[in-house]
Amino acid sequence: MASYASTAAQNRARQRFLGRDWKLGWILVVPILIVLVGLIAYPFLLSIYLSFTDKMIGRPAHFVGLENYRDVMFGAEFGAVFWKSVLNTIAYTGGAVISKALIGMGMALFLHEEFRGRGAMRALCFLPWAIPSLIVGLSWKWIFYGTQAGMLNGILIDLGLSDTLIQWLGNPHLALASVTFVDIWAGCPFYGMMFLAGLQSIPRELYEAASMDGANVFGRFRHITVPSLAGVIAITMLLSTIWTANGFNLIYILTGGGPANASMTFPMFTYQVGIAGAQRLGAASSITVLFLPFFLILIYILTRHMLAEEL
Amino acid sequence: MGALATTSTRASTRRSGWLIHRLVMIVTGLFFALWTLIPMYWIIATSLKTDLQVFRENTLYPTSPTLVNYHTILYQTNFLLYIRNSLEVALVVTTASMVFGSAAAYAIARLQFRGRSTIARGIVVSYLVPGSLLFISLFEVLNELNLTDQLTGLMVVYLSFTLPFCTWLMIGYFRSIPKELEEAALVDGCTRFRALVSIILPLTLPALVVVALFSFTQSWNEFLYALVFISSDSQKTFTVGLIGLIQGDTLPWSLMMAAATLGLIPPLIVYVISQRWVVSGLAAGSVKG
Repeated sequence: MASYASTAAQNRARQRFLGRDWKLGWILVVPILIVLVGLIAYPFLLSIYLSFTDKMIGRPAHFVGLENYRDVMFGAEFGAVFWKSVLNTIAYTGGAVISKALIGMGMALFLHEEFRGRGAMRALCFLPWAIPSLIVGLSWKWIFYGTQAGMLNGILIDLGLSDTLIQWLGNPHLALASVTFVDIWAGCPFYGMMFLAGLQSIPRELYEAASMDGANVFGRFRHITVPSLAGVIAITMLLSTIWTANGFNLIYILTGGGPANASMTFPMFTYQVGIAGAQRLGAASSITVLFLPFFLILIYILTRHMLAEEL
Repeated sequence: MGALATTSTRASTRRSGWLIHRLVMIVTGLFFALWTLIPMYWIIATSLKTDLQVFRENTLYPTSPTLVNYHTILYQTNFLLYIRNSLEVALVVTTASMVFGSAAAYAIARLQFRGRSTIARGIVVSYLVPGSLLFISLFEVLNELNLTDQLTGLMVVYLSFTLPFCTWLMIGYFRSIPKELEEAALVDGCTRFRALVSIILPLTLPALVVVALFSFTQSWNEFLYALVFISSDSQKTFTVGLIGLIQGDTLPWSLMMAAATLGLIPPLIVYVISQRWVVSGLAAGSVKG
């Protein structure tokens, strides 16, 4: 009897410490816990470790200290490409994120209006979001093609707007801009969706009240829409900054980082160092570690923002 | 008289405002329709030409449409196998994400246990950590597990980006369902599990649709991991298989576009079925773009 009472007390103490539903709770989170630890946390730490080794595909790793970092940033083979990729990543991400936000806002405002066929128009506007980025890249590579068989060059020459064939992807001065444009095409539906979801949560009365006070379209946009959407705009642009900077597929298929590294951004560079050419996993890891602080800051801000609302 | 004049000016400004509004709407609509459709059109139009027509004629439309490229793709390449592999991976990943994602989300949204908020934080962080930071070391992880060059390896790795998002979206959705519904069921003698399956899950159907759409599309479209982890032809997904069609420096454009059109069909079907839930589903969380 006494022992029964003490077990009950123990149980209660355990429940108080572990929480009321600890058994079921832990059973249900086991699968995601395995994913978080095995596929995110462990590889994350592993890449930091690898960055201090001379690991190559299929060979054991030896500790080499900071050698990879020196090679990547200042070495004869990679140094110049690394800094080029830093600048390119910034230009590509900055240009694409700002343009996507502007076009996405236009798209959302347009789709928020009431008109016949709005449902179909929504499906159409968001369509690029569902298209595999590889196919997006391939189709634009073909549109940008550098002979008259390429759609854009064909049209420009037929209309007399250009008398030479423009190498959209082959000209070092145009390649990064062309790649950025394709990312904008593929990425603006995400902004449109997020902004539209935000617009739908703004109470109609706010606009009616502002109209009564004599505010015109632009006044209403500035004083109601923008402040109400500020949170959504910030989250969308931060998320998109992470994903745009990390974009690999479009650049891989469109230019492969060329010509002469003109469109080399850091994921493409990592791939070339780690997998394609040199197969130096260690050196490639050091590139990802060098870009890590930038992403950690964004992730930190976003996590705080997203958890503040949810927990 | 004066009053009448003001009214009529006001009416006419209102009418011109309405006209401008309508004009802006039409122009914007046309812009976005062309914006989306031109590349789509160009893929399909090219797939209906022969390579000879592509380079000789330079027309914006197929002068004598042919299905020869589709025939070549289906009967002379392994493309159908790649499509099957992609479907297999996408369906397994989607199912696993829905099951494990809702289970974990339910636990985090409804149950009380130590470690709950730490796990929630871990989920958000994992959702945000981009694949290009991890693919080098994931390659090593798969090597250690002997899972490289296998569809199973891809399925496991794809869970690393679908599962955190699905869980996150479902947490938001579970929170929006009143607790009382479930408590009433518990009082009536349902077990927690019964209450979850027969009362809560049906209510989360819209979120489950978004989760399925997301997981399927992302797994179907994934390229970087498949490119790095897969080398045998028999294990290629359609994205890697599509790249494999390129031989040497010249691209067989009409053939590639036919393959691209075929690869577009599954995600488009899923998209058409589920897109009208996306915007409302997004209100609860946010989708990877």
